Amino acid sequence: MRRRGETVMAAAEKPTKEKLLSTLDDIEVLSRELIEMLALSRTQKLPQPGEDTDILELLVQRDKEFQELMQTAVEQGKVHQEMQALEKEVEKRDSDIQQLQKQLKEAEHILATAVYQAKEKLKSIEKARNGSISSEEIIKYAHRISASNAVCAPLNWVPGDPRRPYPTDLEMRSGILGNMSNMPTNGVNGHLPGDALAAGRLPDILTPQYPWQSADVSMGILPPHHGNDFGLEPPGHNKENEDDVEAMSTDSSSSSSDSD
Amino acid sequence: MAAAEPVADEAEDYSFLPIIHDIIKCMDKDSPDVLQELNKLKTRLQEAREQISGTPGIELSPALQESRLRALREQVRTKNQLLHKYKSLCMFDIPKPS
Repeated sequence: MRRRGETVMAAAEKPTKEKLLSTLDDIEVLSRELIEMLALSRTQKLPQPGEDTDILELLVQRDKEFQELMQTAVEQGKVHQEMQALEKEVEKRDSDIQQLQKQLKEAEHILATAVYQAKEKLKSIEKARNGSISSEEIIKYAHRISASNAVCAPLNWVPGDPRRPYPTDLEMRSGILGNMSNMPTNGVNGHLPGDALAAGRLPDILTPQYPWQSADVSMGILPPHHGNDFGLEPPGHNKENEDDVEAMSTDSSSSSSDSD
Repeated sequence: MAAAEPVADEAEDYSFLPIIHDIIKCMDKDSPDVLQELNKLKTRLQEAREQISGTPGIELSPALQESRLRALREQVRTKNQLLHKYKSLCMFDIPKPS
C-alpha cells in the first residue's frame, strides 16, 4: 500500500525535463527583464525602488534551482544506464524462459505419447487376461486336431484313401446338423453311421466298416465328429479317446498310429 | 578536496550568473562588447535547452524512475530465481502408488 502511494505521488510529480525547461525559461525572462531594467534606468536616470533587487534575487534563486535540477538530471542519467542494463538482462531471461517453455512442451508431448501407448498396451493386456484360456485346454485341442489327422496324413494313407483332413460330406451328414433334417430310417443305408454309433444305438454288427476304421477302431479312435462341441466328449469312447490322445501326445508325430 | 572540486566545477558550468554579471559590467562600462555578451547568453540558453532535450532518463521524475528501477530489479531477481528452480527441478519424481 505504501509503495502504491509512493507510486501515485511519484506519478503526480513533474518530470525533471519539464522542470528544467521551465526553470530555463524563467531564467531567460528574468535576465531579460533585469537587463532591460538596467538599460532603462541608465538612459532615463530614474531610480528604481528596488525592483531590480527583487528580480536579481529571483534570478539567483532560479539559477540555483537550475543547477540542482541539472545535478539531478546527471544522476538520473546514471540510473537510466543501469535500467537499460537491467532491461537487457530481463530480455535475456525472457528468452531463456521461452526456450525452457519450448523444451518442457516438447517433453510433455513425448511423455503424453508414451503414456497413451502404455495405456493402450495395458488395455490389450487386460483384454487378453479377460479372454484367457487355460493352457491345458489349448493342449487338449491341439491333441484333438492332430488326432484327427488334420495337420498330417496318417502314415498308412495312400492315394484313393477316402480319409481327408477335413470333415467329408458323409461325416457332416452323420453329425447332429445332418440328423436334424434327415429321418432316423436313413441310418440303415449307412448315411448315419457316426451319429448312431456315437449315440450308442447301433450295435457293433451294424457298424459300417470303412477301410481305415479297422486300425483306428482297434485303437479306439473314432472318426472326428465335427458337429460336436469341443467341450463335449464323444459319448461311449471318452476314456479310450483320452488314452489314445495321451498316448499319441507322447509320439513325436501328430498323426495316428499306423496300422502296419 | 579533489572530489569536491569537480562538483563545484559542474555547478559553475550550469550557472548563468557569470554571463549575466559580465553583461551588467559591460553595460556599466558602456563597452561595445555588450552585444557580444548578450549573444553569448542567448547561445548559452539555447545550448542548455538542447542539452536538456538530449539527456536520457529525465522524462520521469526521480521518484518514478526509482520505483521503476526497483521493479526492474525485482523482475530480474524473480526470473533468475524461477529459471534456477526449473532448471534444477528433477522431472522424474515418480509418485508412490496410493
